[in-house]
Amino acid sequence: MKADRKIIHVPSLARVEGEGGIFIEIRHGAPTQVHVTIHEAPRFFEAFLIGRPHEDVPDFTARICGICPVAYQMSSVHALEKIFGIQVEKPLRDLRRLLYCAEWIESHALHMYLLNGPDFYGLNSAWESKNEQSILARGVRFKKLGNELLAVLGGRSVHPVSVRVGGFTRTPSKKALLSLAPKLETAYEESLKEISWAASLPFPETAWDTVWVSLVHDEEYPMNEGTMGFSTGETFSMDAFLETVIEFQVSHSTALHAGRIRDGSQTPYMVGPLSRLNLNHAKLPTAIQSALKDAGISVPIRNTRMAIVARAVELAYAFYEALRIIADYEEPDRAFVPYEPVEGEAVWITEAPRGSLMHRYRVGSTGRIESCTIIPPTSQNLAHMEMDLRLFLESFASEPTDVLRREAEKIIRCYDPCISCAVHVISLI
Amino acid sequence: MKKPRLGIFKLTSCDGCQLTVLNLEDDLVRLVDLFEMAYFPEAMDKPLRGTLDLALVEGSVSVPRQRNTIVEIRERSRHLIAMGSCATSGGLQALRNWANLASYKASTYPSPQAVQALSTSTPISEHVHVDYELYGCPITTQALSETLVAFLLGRRPMLRGYSVCMECKRHGIPCLLVSQGQPCLGPVTRAGCEALCPSLERPCYGCFGPKEDANVDGLLAWFEKMGLNARECQALLDKMNTYTFRKARLESRS
Repeated sequence: MKADRKIIHVPSLARVEGEGGIFIEIRHGAPTQVHVTIHEAPRFFEAFLIGRPHEDVPDFTARICGICPVAYQMSSVHALEKIFGIQVEKPLRDLRRLLYCAEWIESHALHMYLLNGPDFYGLNSAWESKNEQSILARGVRFKKLGNELLAVLGGRSVHPVSVRVGGFTRTPSKKALLSLAPKLETAYEESLKEISWAASLPFPETAWDTVWVSLVHDEEYPMNEGTMGFSTGETFSMDAFLETVIEFQVSHSTALHAGRIRDGSQTPYMVGPLSRLNLNHAKLPTAIQSALKDAGISVPIRNTRMAIVARAVELAYAFYEALRIIADYEEPDRAFVPYEPVEGEAVWITEAPRGSLMHRYRVGSTGRIESCTIIPPTSQNLAHMEMDLRLFLESFASEPTDVLRREAEKIIRCYDPCISCAVHVISLI
Repeated sequence: MKKPRLGIFKLTSCDGCQLTVLNLEDDLVRLVDLFEMAYFPEAMDKPLRGTLDLALVEGSVSVPRQRNTIVEIRERSRHLIAMGSCATSGGLQALRNWANLASYKASTYPSPQAVQALSTSTPISEHVHVDYELYGCPITTQALSETLVAFLLGRRPMLRGYSVCMECKRHGIPCLLVSQGQPCLGPVTRAGCEALCPSLERPCYGCFGPKEDANVDGLLAWFEKMGLNARECQALLDKMNTYTFRKARLESRS
């Protein structure tokens, strides 16, 4: 019977980065097909990196994503440094963390106030209603400061140019960084209030225990270093993590999917700010933990629609951490550690704004790239997004098609999918 | 007065140039006041309807459907501006132009036959008429503002045809090529970044593509004298503007 079949087709999702859509089929009140359809054009990064000098890698991989270029640069340089046995000194390590703070600020503010936020107050764009323009203004203020900090360290906010294997091409002066401190102080105070704003948004009642995955670190909230933690309690070294997940191709997507191998089958897991917060809450400063508690939120957050709250927490944390690093910063004697390239292979994972970003490189004796694998966070989340949609549809399949379509789009946007990066993946064979 | 209808589109790219629109920050609110934002899927959930006064297009043409998309955008738009290295030069993904697509596919996907892609990644101007090109990987907010203001005032935007070297001189940055013997693409690269890389103590890597009448072959001959081999010289050109640099090199030979 025709009435028993519903098709929900979003050919092109709005307010996400890149090109993707949704295709859902419901028969007799149950979801039969639930597909996140990625139709972003393949760019073949892993293919054209082969044979390139390793020095090109951070400039090239930055171009995978205009919104999180730092993440790509960070996973690249750490993996290559692991191969060459380079240990960077503390000030350089701190500057990298600072660069990551700046990217989290810029990217989280973009997502909270321009992409995902408008869903919660019923707008099609952040500027659609004059009434909500104060929210946009707040977001733009945060975002602008993230970009300023990125520019001080990297020359520009999109595709910074100072990151290199061994450190930086040039390090900023203490004075240049301190000049941003007053603005960062104010922004930090303001961002603490944004946690309660985010927590007050109207979230649908839904909760489920899924598998959260992110870097974990003994001393700090993870960005550049650590081991891979699962909410099941297990941890894996970066190399071992690569052995526990599998990438697979599906016919409805130009991006590969990823899952955890368990008992011979793949099970979805989730990376991103919500996973990071749930696994690393204890590493946050007391003031931020209190702000979250005062906003009525208890951790772990089991509602994937509340990822915007985790982003608000990380926005505040990024300001806090940026201030701490700037206060402690001492100009290093050298901007980078000299090295000789040697043959080898290594895996490194860092925490992109959207979640764990895995890079693996094999470098030959002349310092050229022989092979590489890049697994972006969105690619890891695709199977999880489909599971999230399916759970929603199992309860609400009887709702009208246009309601389902709108809700399905919102669910996808909670993941902050960065589809332009999701396609750059390679088989692990 | 009726506001001009603006559409912002993406083909194959990283979203960085569209993000530059959002990075106008304080001017963003003014932008959405001065123009009618008719289409901008990265930031707006609104279907494309009617004709446009101005289309900004990011990205290169690299899959079959995009050849139709760019013609459709052109037909709808009174003015069309190509935005960034992918749209003006094919982007990094144009490295496939000099490689074998089948081997690229095979090394990236377990089932390569399911992946649709053209064997080339090309600039928009190879498919439709383009009124103006904004260079850079990414473009700068300054150039974008200037272009949008020029459009509103009905004049041509200020185009810098000279090289990055001029910006280095203006900023008083010592020449990395002459004083340190570093292979800098500044002499053949279009200005517009305010000598960003040299100011951070690294040679220019050509984000803005070739300047007008760039003597690419002359510069590479110099690099060879410095001790670089032909492969190393080629690798310097083969980055985000590989396609236009290779073309400029051929032109500088003739």
